[in-house]
Amino acid sequence: MRIKDPQHLSKVQKECRAALGKFPKKVIVCCGTGCLANGAAKIVTAFEDVLSKRKVKGFSIEAVTKTGCHGFCEQGPLVVIEPQGTFYTRVKPKDVEAIVEKSLAHDEILEPLLYSDPSNGHKIERYNDLPFFSMQRRIALRHLGKIAAHSIDEYIADGGYQALAKVLTSMTPDEVIAEIMASGLRGRGGGGFPAGRKWRTCRDVVSDVHYVICNGDEGDPGAFMDRSIMEGDPHGVLEGMMIAAYAVDARQGFIYVREEYPLAVTHLKKAIDDCEEVGLLGDNILGSDFSFSIRISRGAGAFVCGESSALMRSVAGEVGEPRAKYIRSVVKGLYDKPTVLNNVETYVNVPLIIDKGAEWYTSIGTPSNTGTKVFSLVGKVRNTGLIEVAMGATMREIIFGIGGGIIDNRPFKAVQTGGPSGGCLPESMLDLPVDFDTLTEAGSMMGSGGMIVMDDRTCMVDLAKYFLSFLVSESCGKCVPCREGLYQLHAMTVKVSEGRATEADLEKMEKLSEMIILGSLCGLGKSGPNPLLSTIRYFRDEYLVHIREKRCPAGVCRELITYEINDKCTGCMACISACAVNAITGEKKQVHVLDQEKCTKCGACYAVCKFDAIEIH
Amino acid sequence: MNHDFGKLPEIFGRYDQSPASLIAILQDIQREYHYLPKEALRETARWLTIPLSKVYSVSTFYNAFSLVPRGKKVIRVCVGTACHIRGASLIQQQFESMLNIKAGQTTPDREHTLEVVACVGACAMAPIIIVDEKYHGSFSVSNVRKILKAK
Amino acid sequence: MVRLTINGKLVQAAEGEMLLSVIRREKIDIPALCHHEAVEPYGACRLCMVEITRPEWDGWANFVTSCLYPVEENLIVSTHSPKVIELRKTIVDLFLACHPNTPEIIQLAADYGVTHTSYEEVPEPDDCILCGLCTRICETMGFKAISAVGRGHGKEIAPPLGEAPPDCVGCLACAQNCPTHFIKFSDRNGVRRIWEKDFELMACSRCGRKTITREFAESLSAGRDIPMEYFEICDDCHRMETSRTMGRIANWSREVQP
Repeated sequence: MRIKDPQHLSKVQKECRAALGKFPKKVIVCCGTGCLANGAAKIVTAFEDVLSKRKVKGFSIEAVTKTGCHGFCEQGPLVVIEPQGTFYTRVKPKDVEAIVEKSLAHDEILEPLLYSDPSNGHKIERYNDLPFFSMQRRIALRHLGKIAAHSIDEYIADGGYQALAKVLTSMTPDEVIAEIMASGLRGRGGGGFPAGRKWRTCRDVVSDVHYVICNGDEGDPGAFMDRSIMEGDPHGVLEGMMIAAYAVDARQGFIYVREEYPLAVTHLKKAIDDCEEVGLLGDNILGSDFSFSIRISRGAGAFVCGESSALMRSVAGEVGEPRAKYIRSVVKGLYDKPTVLNNVETYVNVPLIIDKGAEWYTSIGTPSNTGTKVFSLVGKVRNTGLIEVAMGATMREIIFGIGGGIIDNRPFKAVQTGGPSGGCLPESMLDLPVDFDTLTEAGSMMGSGGMIVMDDRTCMVDLAKYFLSFLVSESCGKCVPCREGLYQLHAMTVKVSEGRATEADLEKMEKLSEMIILGSLCGLGKSGPNPLLSTIRYFRDEYLVHIREKRCPAGVCRELITYEINDKCTGCMACISACAVNAITGEKKQVHVLDQEKCTKCGACYAVCKFDAIEIH
Repeated sequence: MNHDFGKLPEIFGRYDQSPASLIAILQDIQREYHYLPKEALRETARWLTIPLSKVYSVSTFYNAFSLVPRGKKVIRVCVGTACHIRGASLIQQQFESMLNIKAGQTTPDREHTLEVVACVGACAMAPIIIVDEKYHGSFSVSNVRKILKAK
Repeated sequence: MVRLTINGKLVQAAEGEMLLSVIRREKIDIPALCHHEAVEPYGACRLCMVEITRPEWDGWANFVTSCLYPVEENLIVSTHSPKVIELRKTIVDLFLACHPNTPEIIQLAADYGVTHTSYEEVPEPDDCILCGLCTRICETMGFKAISAVGRGHGKEIAPPLGEAPPDCVGCLACAQNCPTHFIKFSDRNGVRRIWEKDFELMACSRCGRKTITREFAESLSAGRDIPMEYFEICDDCHRMETSRTMGRIANWSREVQP
């Protein structure tokens, strides 16, 4: 069935809403990657099993909805009963029978499955009352956890494609661009470049062909915002791209999805197929002159392909080697045609901006950083997961408010933002409002939104070494400053972590970093030294301890630590079986002995000891 | 190694016969044969009418492709930042020393392949390893031996 | 016509011209290892980087590779500013760390006052500086026989699948333009060997010298519609023939003139 025009779309919307309203209750099972990894699929199967045997009045398996990531990954698998919003955490397949019996057939709450506030032990029943959610402002994530990820019906029922209809019937391309410019929307992939200005430049290039591309490469390790949006709200991304295509006169679009996200590819493909079937993609969309089609282009595992010119080469089936940006890709991009490349999160904001207006969007966030940002909050933080807050929220609010503070109440040491191109911020900067400009000034950058929280057991030298090692393996190898410079920079951090460096080496690293930033061809090289420079800036003392005292205060750098067994040892022999090199000897109920010569510092014994009998020196 | 390359035309048929399809074709070949056999690369160059040197260049540039057959059991250690902070490098090193290979390699008996992957998006379960598509979250370095012993 | 300043001197350039070409025209010597007039500029070695600024930038400067940056009206270019020199020094220093035994690199480093590398020498160094000239020239020649393999620090230039490259015709364009003479070949007993592939050398029917491979001749013949017989005579003999013909014409015209 083809949706012929905007009136028909509104009719379809009514029909979809009616279909959804058939069941008074709905069960939402979070099927984001984290929950799936934790067994969400088994929970869905459990519902199917239970409901096949037990009939519940006014409910059926159709009302079990698989949605995208709620963001509260620490508490998964998650099940939510709508419309009440009863929020069940850490659900196991064996709990499903009770859920059906108590919460669906009747209106009872299963207390043991409720979230428990760590400060006072109180149980919180509803989704909206959980501080994790009430402190957020979910705009880009609006559909995640609410609608079935693969359903065009639910998307339309929730107002989907009305923004597209509005654009096609009552706005010219120039008006669309003006609206996006007025909203102040800045690229959410990390560059923070004004999206409207990018679209304007692209449209102004006289060309027979314009392209629109969505960057779903999300290469920053620790970032899974775009993945969750692509998996959980694929139509939101498509609608944003369609509006952009209308604005810049593009007839062909691409979504570049990273190789490691097969579920995102599946969901996007279904969404595209469904749109094509109803005529929302293809020729004369909604009866207008606008024709547009989208293809998925899969990445094949290369961080550098997150860079725009490298991405475009990859779409064209080439190696992902970037080229100098003196001629910008918005003017000469894919196949040398003017191309708009924006991030997943940027596009998913677009339909809502068109719907509610630029002024509404500017009322959120700060004047030069409007709207919200999605962050993946990971590391040593209690509430690991996906969150969205208005620009200008402070680090403290995010990490200690929504994030619930540090695991085991250990001291906060630093938070890393911007992935391998970003930097660290120490405790003294916790009250910094988070936005593109403040983070860059502080020596870091917003990046795509990965936020890695670290405690006192993270070594900053080790962290810099880790990022440099990542960049060295991901460098395309075209230009010398990046290929050889980062390689040597990494070698020098290895020296520091092994206690072989001198203070002159520290200065050498800073100078080399400056030259790499100056001389590199693309962003990977240009921002590569950032993690190193920011850790030296805020944690210089830690570097000096490694250099002068050959000691690693955090107990991480293997050459500088030893494992020792203290007298808390009960002789349980757990460490002896854990040790792969037989470095520990001892009898039952006797204090064990660790042979330093054989020890490889792998940490297996430390991990397995329940008595704190293994110490790191 | 003998392969049935009869599958190739079917794989080619899924895509446009244009250079832009190269990466997608290679991915499908990788999935089908668990690596990129030389003859498959030659066939691909012929079908797309592009130089063999370009097909080879692309095959060796991207992480997803392997030019040597993979092992029966593929162990992936996530080394994303969240996992790194929670001890992923120790897990990687333990696998490397117990299997006597480096990440990216396959054991000589073709039983195990060890790979590192940067972030699978399940950071709440860090550190995480994936063995043949099965996720093992909150993994401890002391479990390495158990995984290797399991069938 | 575009007017810009290079090292304080006002010069003129054509619209769309790259800075490097103007710089060279002004006889200013800056290194550009990955550059060759016959192929598209690449921007890999970064040695040709220059400092640029504009009057309205209030002293703020940008650093660009002159091989790829088109001239602009009122641009102010500095080819040997302190930062540029420091950058070139760093690059040659990094080169020395991976090519400590390569004469051309040692010489280049010496030109910038660097005698040993201040970094760690890499294990198993070789002479390939990964400038990409060979692959780009091979592509421009139309053969695309070799390419870059792998990426990053371990990248190499190699024939596909590690075997004799099927598309190579033994024209030697790669070897003749390699800045460090890394690409080796041999002509022996009527056989040319390059990239571990053997080619039959055609002997000139006039002088007997063997300068072109049969494969190269065949590809030129097919591509440009020239009969194979043309290649049975070597270039030098062709030139000799042409100059004799020109000589005869000159003599004839002298005889004809009264």
